[in-house]
Amino acid sequence: MKKKKLLCLLMAAVMTASVFTGCGDSKKETGADTSADADTSADADASEDASDDGEAKANDGEIKEFTAFFAVPGSEINDDNEIQQMIAEKTGVKVKETWLTGQTQEEAIGTLIAGGEYPDFIEGGSSSVQLYEAGALVALDDYIDNYPNIKEFFTEQEWDQLRQDDGHIYWLPQFSNIYGEEKECTHNDEAFWIQTRVLKWAGYPEIRTMDEYFDLIESYNEANPTMEDGTANIPYTILCEDWRYFCLENAPEFLDGYPNDGSVIVDPKTETVIDYNTTDTAVAYFKKLNEEYKKGIIDPESFTQTYDEYIAKISSGRVLGMIDQWWDFAYTGYDAIKAAGLDKQGCSYVPLPITIDKSVKNQWHNSGGVLNVSSGLAVTTSCDDVEGALQFVNDLLGQEIHDLRFWGVKGVDYEVNGDGTYYKTAEMRTNASDSAYKASHLCSYSYFPQWLGTSRDGINAMKPDGQPQEFFDGLTDDVKECFNAYGVMTYVDMLGSSPAPGPWYPMYTFSSTMTTSTEGGTAWAKMAEVKHEYLPKVVMADDFDAGWAEYMDAYNACNPDAFIAEMQTELERRIAEAAKYE
Amino acid sequence: MAIARKTKTTIQQAKPRITWAEVKKQKALLIWGGLIFIYGVIFCYLPLVGWLMAFQDYKPKDGLLHSKFIGLDKFKMLFSDEAFIRVIRNTLAMGVINLVVTFVTAIAFAILLNEIVSKKGKKTVQTISYLPHFLSWIIVTGILHDALSGTGIINELLMNFHLISQPINFFAHEKYFWPIVAFANVWKETGWNAIIYLSAITSIDPSLYEAAAIDGAGRWGKIKHVTLPGIKPTIIILLLMNVGNVLNAGFEIQYLLGNGLVQKVSQTIDIYVLKWGISQGDYALGTAAGIFKSVVSIVLIVIANQIAKKNGEERLF
Amino acid sequence: MKILRNTHKRKKSLSDRVFVICNTIFMIAFVVVTLYPVLNTLAISFNDGTDALRGGIYLIPRKFTLKNYTTVLQKDNLITGAIVTVARTVVGTLLALVSNAILAFVVSRKNFLFKKQLSLFWVITMYVNGGLIPTFLLFKGLHLTNSFWVYVIPGMVNAFNMLVIRTYMNGIPDSLEESAQLDGAGYTTIFTKIISPLCKPVYATVALFVAVGQWNSWFDAMLYNRMSDKLTTLQYELMKLLSSVTNQGTSAEAMKNSTGTVTPTSVRAAATILTMLPIICIYPFLQQYFVAGLTLGGVKE
Repeated sequence: MKKKKLLCLLMAAVMTASVFTGCGDSKKETGADTSADADTSADADASEDASDDGEAKANDGEIKEFTAFFAVPGSEINDDNEIQQMIAEKTGVKVKETWLTGQTQEEAIGTLIAGGEYPDFIEGGSSSVQLYEAGALVALDDYIDNYPNIKEFFTEQEWDQLRQDDGHIYWLPQFSNIYGEEKECTHNDEAFWIQTRVLKWAGYPEIRTMDEYFDLIESYNEANPTMEDGTANIPYTILCEDWRYFCLENAPEFLDGYPNDGSVIVDPKTETVIDYNTTDTAVAYFKKLNEEYKKGIIDPESFTQTYDEYIAKISSGRVLGMIDQWWDFAYTGYDAIKAAGLDKQGCSYVPLPITIDKSVKNQWHNSGGVLNVSSGLAVTTSCDDVEGALQFVNDLLGQEIHDLRFWGVKGVDYEVNGDGTYYKTAEMRTNASDSAYKASHLCSYSYFPQWLGTSRDGINAMKPDGQPQEFFDGLTDDVKECFNAYGVMTYVDMLGSSPAPGPWYPMYTFSSTMTTSTEGGTAWAKMAEVKHEYLPKVVMADDFDAGWAEYMDAYNACNPDAFIAEMQTELERRIAEAAKYE
Repeated sequence: MAIARKTKTTIQQAKPRITWAEVKKQKALLIWGGLIFIYGVIFCYLPLVGWLMAFQDYKPKDGLLHSKFIGLDKFKMLFSDEAFIRVIRNTLAMGVINLVVTFVTAIAFAILLNEIVSKKGKKTVQTISYLPHFLSWIIVTGILHDALSGTGIINELLMNFHLISQPINFFAHEKYFWPIVAFANVWKETGWNAIIYLSAITSIDPSLYEAAAIDGAGRWGKIKHVTLPGIKPTIIILLLMNVGNVLNAGFEIQYLLGNGLVQKVSQTIDIYVLKWGISQGDYALGTAAGIFKSVVSIVLIVIANQIAKKNGEERLF
Repeated sequence: MKILRNTHKRKKSLSDRVFVICNTIFMIAFVVVTLYPVLNTLAISFNDGTDALRGGIYLIPRKFTLKNYTTVLQKDNLITGAIVTVARTVVGTLLALVSNAILAFVVSRKNFLFKKQLSLFWVITMYVNGGLIPTFLLFKGLHLTNSFWVYVIPGMVNAFNMLVIRTYMNGIPDSLEESAQLDGAGYTTIFTKIISPLCKPVYATVALFVAVGQWNSWFDAMLYNRMSDKLTTLQYELMKLLSSVTNQGTSAEAMKNSTGTVTPTSVRAAATILTMLPIICIYPFLQQYFVAGLTLGGVKE
């Protein structure tokens, strides 16, 4: 111990900075700690009064600091974040959040478990089960009844779905939970997208099938091979990088009119699992891609491009159509299109309700929340004040603080109309997307439980992007024109909406937790590997049938039946589980 | 070879016997060597208990002490997997190619740089040459992707010289992958790797150059008879160390440049471990692969070291 | 072996001239090729992020902005991170240099009793690795986690650096040591007064390697000091900033719920340039040791 002290002294001598006064371990110091931070972070443009308040409170020892680790990448906010301070004053709690950096989820959680020390709150992602098995988590079921906002967050049935095999509840899934009436304008998920200029040129025709979609793109490209400035169009491109290859592989399930179960199709009538990789529709879809590839409609770089290159192409406005999920291109590629003013040429994207055949009803968009039981926010055994932690979660779900988290400060981040409707000015909207402003001002506690849908006031949406007026103000003219032509109001209306097909939905919450420790999990991993390699080859094949046969040989060698069998078992388990509540 | 021998190390000598007198004489050496030895045991060898994991059905909740032992199952699993054999081949191939090209280019660059007469020019070139070392792979591979794309500068040049009629999609063909990786390594690291040789060149006695000049040696003569022999010990040592590294051909660059079409040649052992071990929650598999790499590396350097010893060259131990 | 003496003088200077011309051309080409990615990064760092997504930026920014730099510089904790990084670079480099030099000195003494064994012991460390979790547990057991020392102690002795120094020391004639011993000097004196002054170029090289490694490392900060804000490092703060805007290795679920929509490319470019700057500034001071050529006349037999 003496030696260590000596080293500390030496270190202090070496470092002139006063910040280092001892050997680390600053975890969970409140009081003095917070004020020291305020000194060092004076560069971050904090508003004066906010940090003053913080200091005063901290010195009173009223604000308790919790720690949280989320095993997903996320944005850190500044220590003197203004809304975080406001929430701290109202709830007496501040949470220091850290996120996954440069490690895989499994590594990060594995190290934490090995070390046996945890932050107070944790979100383990796909490694949540390992945390539970390691006994790192606090069973929450005894507490839940004391916290009305938490209690209200799930129905009895949903609470039971969250129970682990020991009968206890350990985590709270944070997302996709709808309060009151659903308010959704954007189709956040997958679709065949097309630029409005293509639809406009053709007089806004009704496009319902895959063949019509490609025919339209072909004929448009023949008539208008370039953009206004002479840059050649890319009629259709496919993103195929790493885990983003869903843009290539999972279309057959949607084309057959099934919703996004992710890994398999579930036939609701027979309650059986179907492999969408080998259906007739899959063959037809890849054959179509193969034909279009030979015609030069499909970007020859599709299968070698990186995500950055793909986004660069989308941003340039050259790409007429593609399959993708909205969030995967909207906040990068589409924002760049708008920034460059390319929407004036009709380069904005709208989704089309496409299936393999007109008789099939599409289910690209599903209404209702999705309960992903595989992970969520948990409290760990290292937390010395479980009641305080849960009280904070409860407070975060209260309307006032929920508004603070997602709308911001009244008069600063949003205004209120005479009838009580919230709205943002253009400047407020710009601020909300500015990263520096976000870090210093906004604090959504984004991985704590949160509501979608309608606010408890019955007027507003829980989050700004669900507010219809907010949505319309953000639309570009070409999209407005297109929506008018089709007589719809939102992206969702373009596709129509279907309710969740059954209590099993979505099956991907199970397949995403599979590992190679089971036969089915091994098969699932191998299938992905084979599809990564062979699907591009099938599309590029000179002889489609031979290419497909080769693919099927490799595919069947992965033992897909083992995977399907495990999915079927899970499907039946879920149905049986749900039957208890009927 | 009078000139060369002057700078050559004397390695062969009678092994001193461990006697009390000798120990006393070497007290200072033994104390320092001993302290650093203890440090090494703690920081480099103690964590090797982790190797036990490879023989266990390791579960984080049980830790190293309570996980169930399963013997050589993980090794059997690795070596019965065709994919693993393939990634060994890829790793070895890329490791050897990278070793050879980065080695030759760094030495050549250091020597040529040394030949620049203008001191200012020499410093400028050197400063610029090592800068790419500080760019992350994601930046470098991004630029490579641009340059090699259908409309990139490489295809444009080839088309202009009528060497090809259609742009080549470099990333879609397995045959281009290894050369691209080798080129990227050379591009990024040549200047940085040359630093070590430049510092070795400074250890050459200037009078040797004067002597060579008197003997009538030209530039090539001086390089061949003074510079190269002068840095030979450094070259040999680095070569020996890198021979042990051929199975560490990397992860990031292959991951960033690879895609489904070339995955048969692009995946390395490290990528395999991430894919089938860590991201599946199987820590033992990664450890088993790590042990395999260590064993191969050590065997390789022992062989290389013996060869160096036979030829009377500088050696690792 | 004698070098041919009767080479014609004019011929020699001609070949020399050809050599100089070729070498110059080669060097210019090399500089162009290696400078390009740096300049490209520089251009992107000064370009508007969303605009840069469209690609096609080479040497000159298309839509000039300082926003990428302000975004990076506004990052919370950056000052703390910078101080810690400077401290770990200075302390870490000193410690590593001294310990590697001592070890290299010990194993390069030709009479040293355990010369071979100790060398082998260290050579092996280059190729074995216990893995993340055992290492973590060890550091925790040694109370190195949540402390500054985890940055400088674990990597202190490194076989690669040690061997580089040893090779250099091996090249120093034994006669120097022998004559000093005759004068009654002990090993400590020989090391500090005789060998070390001759090793300046290789010390500079190793110092550079260690310093750059220290300057750029962030994984240890993340792994061992995640919960200690005051021990954060510059690179770790930048990595956090970057990973909040990038998506490598994440899942679709995480992307859907992520809050950051800043463009990673331009922020990364700015961060790269900012971290390169200090190294570029310090480099000339080290460079003089290994570019200027040997001016120490002492190495004579």
